[in-house]
Formats: sequence, C-alpha cells, structure tokens
Amino acid sequence: MASLRRRGRARITISLLLLSAVLLLTLDSRGSGPVQSARSAVLSVLSPLGSAAATVVNPFRNAWNSAFDQGNLKKENETLREENDRLKGDVTANSIAKEQLQQLLQLVGIPFVGDTPVVHTRVVTGAVGNFGDRIELDKGSNAGIERNMPVVTGEGLIGKVIEVSENRSVVSLLSSGTYRVGFSVVGTAAIGIAQGSGGDGSLRGSNIDSRQAVTVGAITATSGLAGSPFPPNLPIGTVTAVRTNEAELESTVDISMFANLNSLIYADVVLWKPAG
Amino acid sequence: MKKPALRYLIVIATAALLQYTVVTQFRILGVSADLFLVIAIATGMIGGAERGAIVGFASGLCLDLMVTTPFGLCAISGLVAGVVAGLLEDATVHSARWLTMAIAFIASVAGILSFAVTGTLLARPDLLSGHLFTILVIVGVASAALVFPALRACRWADSEDSLLRAAAR
Repeated sequence: MASLRRRGRARITISLLLLSAVLLLTLDSRGSGPVQSARSAVLSVLSPLGSAAATVVNPFRNAWNSAFDQGNLKKENETLREENDRLKGDVTANSIAKEQLQQLLQLVGIPFVGDTPVVHTRVVTGAVGNFGDRIELDKGSNAGIERNMPVVTGEGLIGKVIEVSENRSVVSLLSSGTYRVGFSVVGTAAIGIAQGSGGDGSLRGSNIDSRQAVTVGAITATSGLAGSPFPPNLPIGTVTAVRTNEAELESTVDISMFANLNSLIYADVVLWKPAG
Repeated sequence: MKKPALRYLIVIATAALLQYTVVTQFRILGVSADLFLVIAIATGMIGGAERGAIVGFASGLCLDLMVTTPFGLCAISGLVAGVVAGLLEDATVHSARWLTMAIAFIASVAGILSFAVTGTLLARPDLLSGHLFTILVIVGVASAALVFPALRACRWADSEDSLLRAAAR
C-alpha cells in the first residue's frame, strides 16, 4: 500500500517537473528576458574562474588533443605543406591583383573587406554542452566588440557574437544551426543559404540555382548581400556533396567548414556591422 | 530533508564548476563528458526515479544557464536520465559493477536522445544529425566510467535520507 502511494507520488512529481520544463521552453521561445539575464549573470560569475582554470589546464588539454588527434594532425600537416608550396607561387600574382582591386574599390567607393579591423582574442572555454554551440572569448565591449559581429580564425568564418560583457564575449558557432549565412561559390555566380547541421563542422547549403555549375571541392565564402549580418568574402568551407532537384530547379550542397571547431585556441572578431 | 537538498546543491555546483573549467577542455571527436547527466544518473540509482528526476531537473537547469540551446531542454534531458536510471536500478535484482556501468550508459543515452528529440520538435533539426551517434557513444562511455565517483558524491549528499529509507524497509 505504502509502495503504491510512493509510486503515485513519484508519478505526480515527474509529471509536474515535465510540465515545468515545457513551461520554461515555451517562455524561452517567446524571448523571455529573465533567461537572458540569468545566462549573462552566470557568464559573469564563471568567466574569471574559466580564465584561471584555462591557464592551468591548457598544457594538459594540448597533450590530450595531440593524443586523440594525431592522425588528423599528420594528414593536415602534409596537406598544408602542399598547399603552402602552391600558395607561395600564387602570392606574387595575387598581391598585384589585390593592389589593382583596392585601387578599383577606392575608385567606386566600396570599402575593402580585408582592411576591416579585427580584435584578436583567446578562446577561454569551448562549448559547455555537447551540441557544440558556443565558445567564450577573453575580450568584450571594452575592446569594441558588439553583438552580431562575425568571428573568424585564420582558416575562415566560425560564428557570430551573441552575448557581450565588458571583458567577455560569447560566440554562437556557425555549426550550431541556430542561424543561417548567405554564401557564394567562388568562381561561379551561385549563391545560397547555409546552416549548421551538427557539431562536426558541416553545413547544409540550399536555395542554389541548379543552372549554376557547382562542383565538389568548390570554395564557399560569405556573399554579403544586402541585409546580410556578415561581410562579403569571409571563407566558409569547401563543397563536399552536390544534390540537384531538376523539378524545382534547386541544388543543395554539403559544406565542410575550413575552421577546425574542435581545437579553437585563438579567434578574431571582425569589427563589422551591417549597413543601416 | 533540508540537509540533503543543500548537499545536492553543493554537488551540482561542484559539477558545474568542473564541467565549465576542466571537463569541456578534454574532448574526443569534439565530445566531452557530461557531469550534469552523471549526477542525475547517480542520484536516480541511489534515491530512486523520483529523486533522480528532481536532481536531474535541477542539474539540467544549471546546464541550461551555460548553453544557448532552448532553456529547459537540458532539464528534460537530466530528468529523463535520472528517471531511467532509477527505474533500471529498481528493476535489477543483484548489483554488479558492470551492471551499474550498463545502467549509466543506457540512462545517459536516454537523456541525450530526449534532448535531441525534444529539440527537433522545437525547430532545431540539427540536433538529430549524424554527429548525435558519436555524442551518444562517447557521453555514454564517459558516464559509465564516471558514475562511481558520482555515486560516492551522491551517497554523501543523500546519506540521512538513505538511512531513513533503509530503516523504513
């Protein structure tokens, strides 16, 4: 009898907790202010601890990463060497072309994106959860960082700033799938919209005109079309698969991000805001 | 009852601190252990499904404050993991180390799946991606390995109530 009563009470408790969770989800989906404030407060409290711990933990983390990522590192190293040799040859030609392009852009009054100032930051903590959605940087509004500014590494775009305190910023990674980015396929007139499809650095691109010839291996960069929250020409990744729906005249692509989200140590915040 | 609640708060706060400062730095294929889930599972195994649900919900809320996924998703995940661990523990007739680890693995998988499925219903289809399998396996194995220290911590938090329950039986 007592056991039955206990089970009945347990069911009621579990049901009430589930209802509470659903209520919280509903409040959050309607953009409840207290949730954002609570998250910011937790960030402010934990940030100093995170910085201190990162200093102690970093050497161990580096050893850990090299132990579990050695195969990938070797392969990546070889690829980079090959690419480096090829790029050395391209540098001379490109510097001439860049000068010409800058002159042209100045003539027509368009700012050159390569000259946009950036703030160099260190990644303090990686994503706390496993659905790799955010990282924290060691600089904030004091360094001129504002919400929605793009964040890049030497390899390409990784996300955008979603929260800023005086000395901290939180970046929502592009792979999280919580927002979309307009992209263009370099060397073609194809444009589309990409969105994260999981925490492994892969994106899904859609809304591409199927008449445009997009091939596997093609490079994608931000399109920076009017109203886009990202400036043009930030490298995103390479196309790994192309699917064409002839009936709808639309292609979809899989994109593998250039930036390795699993080993982020430094990141640059591009001090850029959309016009208007 | 008050003392266990306070002790559980200490356990959850410690887990939060460790998760934020240390655990997230050590990843395999981009995935790290989830201490909040482990605490929910250990509580479910010690205190039953109801207590597992309460502590899992609380620890999940704590994690919800540290991520950007919809607020309440982690709470559901912790709740499910705690309940599943409690039910499985109640259903077992004998205890063995491998059984404890198996329960931790299964409860962990159930918690993560509930997170991904609920998230998908809330217009986050990216949560049910191919990467989910990697997360299930790595977090499951990590939970199975970390459940023993977590059981110790939860026994400490639950000590008075555990004695009372044992006496009531």
